Amino acid sequence: MIVLGSNSEIAQAFVEKVLEAGEKYQTVFLFTSNRETTQKFAQHIDVKFFQQTEIIELDLMKEIDYNKFDDITSDLLFCATGYLGEGTDEALYNNKNTEKVIDINFAKLVPVLNFFAAKMERQRSGTMIVLSSVAGDRGRQSNFIYGSAKAGLTAYLSGLRNYMFSRKVHVLTVKPGFMDTKMTEGLPLNPALTATPRQAAEEIYTAYKRKKNTAYVLPLWSIIMLIIKNIPEFIFKKLKL
Amino acid sequence: MKPNFIQKVTNWGNFPVVEKEIKSEDSIERIKDFVRNNNEVIARGNGRCYGDASLSEHIFSTRRLNKFISFDRLNGVIECESGVLLSHVLEVIVPQGYFLYVTPGTKFITVGGAIASDVHGKNHHAEGCFSEYVEEFSLLNENSEVITCSRTENEDKFWATIGGMGLTGIILSAKFKLKNIETAYIRQESVKAQNLDEIFKLFDESESWTYNVAWIDCLQRGKNIGRSIMMRGEHAFKHELPKKMQENPLRLKKKMIPKIPFYFPDFLLNKFTVKLFNFLYFNKQQQKMVKNYVDYETFFYPLDVVNDWNKIYGKSGFIQYQMVIPKEKGKEGMEKILQTIAKSGNGSFLAVLKLFGKNNPHAYNSFPTEGYTLALDFKVNSRLKKLVTDLDEIVEEYGGRIYLTKDSMSKSTLTNYLQNVQNPKFVSMQHKRIMNSNN
Repeated sequence: MIVLGSNSEIAQAFVEKVLEAGEKYQTVFLFTSNRETTQKFAQHIDVKFFQQTEIIELDLMKEIDYNKFDDITSDLLFCATGYLGEGTDEALYNNKNTEKVIDINFAKLVPVLNFFAAKMERQRSGTMIVLSSVAGDRGRQSNFIYGSAKAGLTAYLSGLRNYMFSRKVHVLTVKPGFMDTKMTEGLPLNPALTATPRQAAEEIYTAYKRKKNTAYVLPLWSIIMLIIKNIPEFIFKKLKL
Repeated sequence: MKPNFIQKVTNWGNFPVVEKEIKSEDSIERIKDFVRNNNEVIARGNGRCYGDASLSEHIFSTRRLNKFISFDRLNGVIECESGVLLSHVLEVIVPQGYFLYVTPGTKFITVGGAIASDVHGKNHHAEGCFSEYVEEFSLLNENSEVITCSRTENEDKFWATIGGMGLTGIILSAKFKLKNIETAYIRQESVKAQNLDEIFKLFDESESWTYNVAWIDCLQRGKNIGRSIMMRGEHAFKHELPKKMQENPLRLKKKMIPKIPFYFPDFLLNKFTVKLFNFLYFNKQQQKMVKNYVDYETFFYPLDVVNDWNKIYGKSGFIQYQMVIPKEKGKEGMEKILQTIAKSGNGSFLAVLKLFGKNNPHAYNSFPTEGYTLALDFKVNSRLKKLVTDLDEIVEEYGGRIYLTKDSMSKSTLTNYLQNVQNPKFVSMQHKRIMNSNN
């Protein structure tokens, strides 16, 4: 199993869910930009499931040496890489912030996903599960830089799914709504619309087993986004969303 | 959107409810910053203490400190972060042939909470408190330093923290010993007792059993006072189990856990329904004694089979009243307590009686001392304060004390037994309440 963004609480909950379900892997490859905290998770997995893991450093903001990943193959890839950035008015015109958000969520991530997609294409099997976001469904004033990067990712995944269909590789796009994670800690979120990492992992696992194409973590979000997507632009632009 | 850490918080009894800051982190550096920048901090685990012990101005939730660190499968020693639940520990260790030495009546408490409360179980008379099996823990102290505490390193902090209700700092991780088991089943005997004399005799006779506890019908009066059922048990060996249980003796089937979906209306629990419940409970067992084999969850955690069972007490919440009365005067004290409860009409759904063994003199902040302990649930209502005051009087008269983990309104002289745990950094609402009423 290949995990991109191993420090994400959703990724960790998903790894646990898969192992609890009794699936075993020769190695779980934990890609991370923070070796130290991922080490903690690796030990946790060892105690809990007696499962071999390997930590691999991957920082999307640095030059990537793909030769190091040559031997890494698996039937399952889970990608939770993401960066919310600063959502303030000042941050909107801060190029550094903007570039980082676009790079981590889209520009620098797509080549990495392509690299592993090519491996799965060669073996003619596998599933790629990638976290995008409801923010990518329609640009809103509150976080449209992040949203546009995620929209790019969603479009990429939809194309990849189409391309890979005849090549026996499945692509699952996950769009979590509000999540109860470190990323959102302290934000006043509505509990009815907020999922825990554990809930997300359960939903994603079910979607994976059912070979779904797109999954919202809480079903309510699919309705909310359906409404948001269908508001006519001349009204939408006046709303404070 | 501005960050907003202020949340409504309450513990298992749903009383009291406060609006305070809750912060949850897994990075040690950021936890240090939090402690450095705030006074009146308290750690909170899974919120399974009943009252105000884990409430304060600034609450640090350990729910993100939820990772295992190591497991010595040969010697049965496990190390994990403080926010790991006992239920998660059991999931890992039971299939490997290990069990917790000491467990309270719910498995949904954290390891950090188990140390801070120094929890006890049905085997206190034989095996003591949780702390007996703790080898070491790491503690973030009032200076924002992480120190290792054990019987040989920082031993003053080690003993002050055990049963210290979080007032010495934030426990970050702990290493503790496990007990060998052959199966996940318990050989159980349930014995009926018609009154206090019988149940006290049963406790004396059952001393050689590892686990024993009695459910007691606290609404009985007169000659039936103390009517109860004792449950005693031993970890079962594989060869003695019925054939079906022998097949996979360390693995239990996953059970569906029903959930109480909403707070029950207030009128549902009253003197009559509690009386009816107690009548049915006592009479569901026909014979004087029943012997059988049950899985460890049924034996240790009968209430965990219903999620959110605290909601049956309604929105106004409930308290748990647990006291200990020294052994010599135990029977006399218990009789008075049961009479007072029966007279008040405040029935308790769940009343549990146990005989504590000798305490560990090093663990001076632990609650258990040799004697009889009774734990009772009471719904919060207008008559409750009076009942608690009356019960407190009796406990004081007999030289007993109250379990802080469950306390939310008892007399301060029964609850101020903590020593060496005063600093402005770590303060709980409970501690403040007790200290203020002392002055």
